[in-house]
Amino acid sequence: MAKPTVIVVGADKGGVGKTTVARTLLDYFTAHHVPVRAFDTESPKGTLKRFHSDISDIVDVTSVPDQMRIFDTLSTADASVTVIDVRAGLLSPTLRSLRDIGFLDAAKKGQLTFVVFHILGSSIASLNEIEETTAFTSDAKYFLVKNFINNTSFFEWDQATHAAYFKKFKDAVEITIPKLNEMAYEQVELASVPFLSFVANKGPKGDAANYSFVLRGYVRHWLGNVWAEFDRIKLNDIVAAGAAQPAPAGSNPRVQVVRS
Amino acid sequence: MAQLTPLLIVASPRPRVGKTLLARLLIEFFQSAGRPVTGYDLNPREPVLAGRFPALVETVDIAETLGQMALFDRLIAQAPHPTVIDLGYRPFDQFFAVMAEIGFEREAFRRGLEPVVLFVTDPAPATVNAYADLQRNLRGMSFVPVHNEAAATIFNKEDFPPSSAELSPLRMARLSAIVRGVIDRPSFSFNRYVTERLGGPTEIHTWVADIFAEFRELELRLIMSKLKLNFGARGAPRRRPERQAS
Repeated sequence: MAKPTVIVVGADKGGVGKTTVARTLLDYFTAHHVPVRAFDTESPKGTLKRFHSDISDIVDVTSVPDQMRIFDTLSTADASVTVIDVRAGLLSPTLRSLRDIGFLDAAKKGQLTFVVFHILGSSIASLNEIEETTAFTSDAKYFLVKNFINNTSFFEWDQATHAAYFKKFKDAVEITIPKLNEMAYEQVELASVPFLSFVANKGPKGDAANYSFVLRGYVRHWLGNVWAEFDRIKLNDIVAAGAAQPAPAGSNPRVQVVRS
Repeated sequence: MAQLTPLLIVASPRPRVGKTLLARLLIEFFQSAGRPVTGYDLNPREPVLAGRFPALVETVDIAETLGQMALFDRLIAQAPHPTVIDLGYRPFDQFFAVMAEIGFEREAFRRGLEPVVLFVTDPAPATVNAYADLQRNLRGMSFVPVHNEAAATIFNKEDFPPSSAELSPLRMARLSAIVRGVIDRPSFSFNRYVTERLGGPTEIHTWVADIFAEFRELELRLIMSKLKLNFGARGAPRRRPERQAS
């Protein structure tokens, strides 16, 4: 039985581009032919579902049936990677629930691969949020994401503070999402298609579209840079290691979904 | 081998070196041959070329994304025909940066359009470096250095190598000052002058004839360099015009 991967994408604030990063992850795995599914927790109406309707479902992560839907199907789903887009502000509480249902233990036992993408906000308060999150990520691959997609420079941290914090969390790896031309980003929003489809000039149903060549070029270049970051952190290897290595014999990830 | 039509980008990082004059001559060259031609004036503050050819030349401001779309999307979508771009010195860097970022060159070739940079030279080190940098960043693109004798007396051909051996520098001879004043008049058209003016050949006749001959030769040389690329010269590495997929 192949070891599944769960990627939790979260942020402590809204508007930092968390769902955008989740979308680039889905495109990355699609391009690498890794079957992936996504759970959008922005219930009732999710942004992720709008772009990747065929592989996303909207869930309410506080409801037990929905929790079961995600975690009981980890081993049986066609997808070897499950991406969970956690609602802004709920990253730490979600990780706490994951601990409570035995998910973190399953990760510790090597029954699944656990990855956290923590999208950072620009204020100095974000640095404290990292500390809160790292309480739950000792058995995870933990990535701190600086998202410059809409801003060229908004991080207020001075070099010294930055160094002090990042030195503390030795296991955290930084990723940078570069800026994307505003009009290009807007057009992808309007088209409601994955970035990859926009670049390929395809509409929501895979039909031929008529997007601007210039804007497609900007998105192609940007997405290439984002994926280069994912390559740099060996994301495909992290996931593939899970798929290639069967889970320890006799253990499907045993995750008890118990209402606390 | 697919037929390629030239997209002639008249460029220089410096102002007042004769770019617009060259662009003007190119447009009139195609007109005199009865060939369809369009132009883009990338000098939004002073669109002289668009002023002279309002029906053929569009003014575009590539500092705005919308301007970039108005230019590059249109070039990709149009049926290939000779096109002239008067690249103002201000948007010089941005034009080539955007072109590289969006992968324009590759798509242009797919559509039968061949970008050719007509780089108007001068001996300043900054210009020499700009030429070298551009060639390095845009490998696979055709570069033809231009020597406008009115703007720069010196032309050092080692400083401005064309992108392939078949292409040679384009020369614009100096005109006398009075004649220069005549051709600069807003209403002056080279084609109208040479067809309507009676009597023996004047300085303008000879000058235009020489330059148009250079243009015809340039087109032939572009074709020759493509032939060489496609069939491969013995001992020379095959070089394809497309950029590698990123």
